Amino acid sequence: MFKLRRWHAFSGFSFLLVLLPLLTAVGAFVSYTEQAQWALYLQDAYTWRVVWFSWWQATLSTVISLALALLVARSLARRPHFMGRWLMLRCFSVALVVPSIIAVYGIILLHGKQGYVNQLWHWLGGQPRSYVYGLVGILLAHVFFNLPLAARILLQRLEAIAPETWRLSSQLGMSSTDLWRHIEWPHLKGVLPQLAAMIFALCFTSFAIVMTLGGGPKATTIEVAIFQAIRFDFDMAKAVYLSSLQILFCGFILWCGLRLGRPIDMFASQGIGHSKLSLRPDTQSLMGKIHDASVLLLATLLVLVPLVAVVIAGINDAWLQVLLDVRLWHAFVNSLWVALSSALLSLLMAWGLVLAQRYWRRHHRLAAEAVEWTGSIILVVPPLVLATGLFIGLRPHVDVFAINLYVVVLVNALMGLPYMLRVLSVAYVKVSSDYDRLCSSLAIHGWQRLRQVEWPILRRPIGLAMALVAAMSAGDLGVVALFGSPDIQTLPLLMYQRLGSYQADAAGVTAVLLLGLSLTLFLVLERAVGGPRD
Amino acid sequence: MIELKHVRCSIGEQQFHYDLQLPEGEIVAVMGASGAGKSTLLNLLAGFIKPDTQVHGEGEIYLAGQRVDTLEPSQRPMTSLFQEHNLFAHMSVYQNLALGIRSNLKLTTQEQLQVEQALAQVGLADMGSRLPKQLSGGQRQRVALGRALVRRKPLLLLDEPFSALDPALRQDMSMLLKTLCQQHQLSALVVTHEPRDALALAQQVVFIAQGQVYWQGTSEDFLQQTDGHIKAYLGENC
Repeated sequence: MFKLRRWHAFSGFSFLLVLLPLLTAVGAFVSYTEQAQWALYLQDAYTWRVVWFSWWQATLSTVISLALALLVARSLARRPHFMGRWLMLRCFSVALVVPSIIAVYGIILLHGKQGYVNQLWHWLGGQPRSYVYGLVGILLAHVFFNLPLAARILLQRLEAIAPETWRLSSQLGMSSTDLWRHIEWPHLKGVLPQLAAMIFALCFTSFAIVMTLGGGPKATTIEVAIFQAIRFDFDMAKAVYLSSLQILFCGFILWCGLRLGRPIDMFASQGIGHSKLSLRPDTQSLMGKIHDASVLLLATLLVLVPLVAVVIAGINDAWLQVLLDVRLWHAFVNSLWVALSSALLSLLMAWGLVLAQRYWRRHHRLAAEAVEWTGSIILVVPPLVLATGLFIGLRPHVDVFAINLYVVVLVNALMGLPYMLRVLSVAYVKVSSDYDRLCSSLAIHGWQRLRQVEWPILRRPIGLAMALVAAMSAGDLGVVALFGSPDIQTLPLLMYQRLGSYQADAAGVTAVLLLGLSLTLFLVLERAVGGPRD
Repeated sequence: MIELKHVRCSIGEQQFHYDLQLPEGEIVAVMGASGAGKSTLLNLLAGFIKPDTQVHGEGEIYLAGQRVDTLEPSQRPMTSLFQEHNLFAHMSVYQNLALGIRSNLKLTTQEQLQVEQALAQVGLADMGSRLPKQLSGGQRQRVALGRALVRRKPLLLLDEPFSALDPALRQDMSMLLKTLCQQHQLSALVVTHEPRDALALAQQVVFIAQGQVYWQGTSEDFLQQTDGHIKAYLGENC
């Protein structure tokens, strides 16, 4: 007979939390389908340009990020004694949690009309040019995020090559080309399709970057066009049409990605960069040294310098004025609250789903798989599309601007869910296979099992996942902009406004505070929840 | 003669210092506790590790009168064979052997014949087109031995080459190694943990302790040693 247990309620609640927003959004879309003038949209040249640009920029971003990442990973692998290596890898690992508005700000400081590059160009006698707004800026920002991500994963692959292989290659007298052909490429090529799929999906749905650096008729993606349809044109039917299109494309991209293999863990590359032994035979030549130096310099310019520029811009006289501003503290508290709530909510959702999955794994394999799909909904219905659905669906019933932050928390928690779910489910499977028998023989059940056996093993991956979700939510500028109202601020929103209103000094200070908040949240949560490193 | 003249190196905290002369054309077993410095000796010979800065006359390595410590690993007249990772997983057996002759794999008809002959000598005549993952552990080590043959270097450095294999297979492989060394007049240094292997394979034993050559002599003598260090290593059964 079916016996109701506590975890049933918990799991049920999680399912509800995940599925209810989705159903609300889909319901809203369906209710609008009659109003949508499909035929008209299909003929709209602007829409097609937006669609084309979405695919084009994502393709370019993926190809450039991957190509550079291959070069950078190879150069880092060849130079274990390179002085800035530790710093570079450290920056690479935090780049993922840098808020997009901060990256954009750094890139504008470097490449904007008054940026360092133009100043240098002017000093050399050239006319300052504006090139950062549009495709170039978008690519620079996408490379800023995806080059470090990909380079770390590729470097991990290279460092996993057995030392014997390098010794063998030096005994066989292989040239640099031979090493690439016989050793490096065979080790790297397996991970490239999944890596490309992941980067492509991230760039295809990228919102804040395209909104700030693009947005004009020449550089708008579907995600931004949805936002514009709601905020500028108040054309809900068009937003619904574009959202449906986006869901279709994202579903297709996810399907392609899944066909290429299991998704890769973005943070699996934690312990890289420790290999101090250089066994490669090809590091001594002058050409090799020049090559590696240029590659690493390029990576520094693309990733490290924008961050440094942000910090430098934050050193100015506006500190006191900014810190005394009440709006800043409101925004700060809101961002902190959003970050912590999203991380916690994401964990609760994932935990409820994993408990159900664990049960079903024994009874219905299909149901267990469905749980994983449920958690990955956000990959098919990207954040802004989901928020649009909620916006349209909830508008008749509540004041959508008042519930702004709750929606931000919900959507951010859902964004973190696929990662959280995978981390938890992998850890749970391991706990089960390692300790199930031992626990039942020692009669450790329920709460005691959770406290004594599961938590010490689960806290590490949970800590990392929560830190990631919190830091990303603190920097979120997507949903909050869609639902934004002048009364409710978050730090990224404030930053966005100051960037637009030419308050350079205030923007600089706000940027440093936001960057500090994201990084602190990431580092503190990782340790506080994950426990001390061994 | 294989000769190491006061070759020193340090890895982390540990100091190594080798002063050693070995006859050519023989198989020598290198024995000692883990971490004593057996692999380090082989790595120094092959050039995978650089010795510490040399004082005049010290730190030199000679093989048949030729100084080799100044040469790059690929120019030294020796071939290494590890416990695993000897083969490139994405290449066929034939290609793995061909790599020993030319790393761009473009062989002349004459050289192709050499590869075929070597494959036959290690008992893999009809397996040239297989991939390493389709072979057993013993067959994979045979491929590595085949490559050592086509490389035609006078000294083999084998680091626990058969440790991962079953006892019976290990004996077969030892016999094969012995035969090949005799046929091709090769010298070999074999790191091994198994006294029985040492006895079956080698005429000479070098015993390493704490980064130095502690004892050197014939393998029969070695097993009869009453020295505390060696007895502690061998255990009571021997």
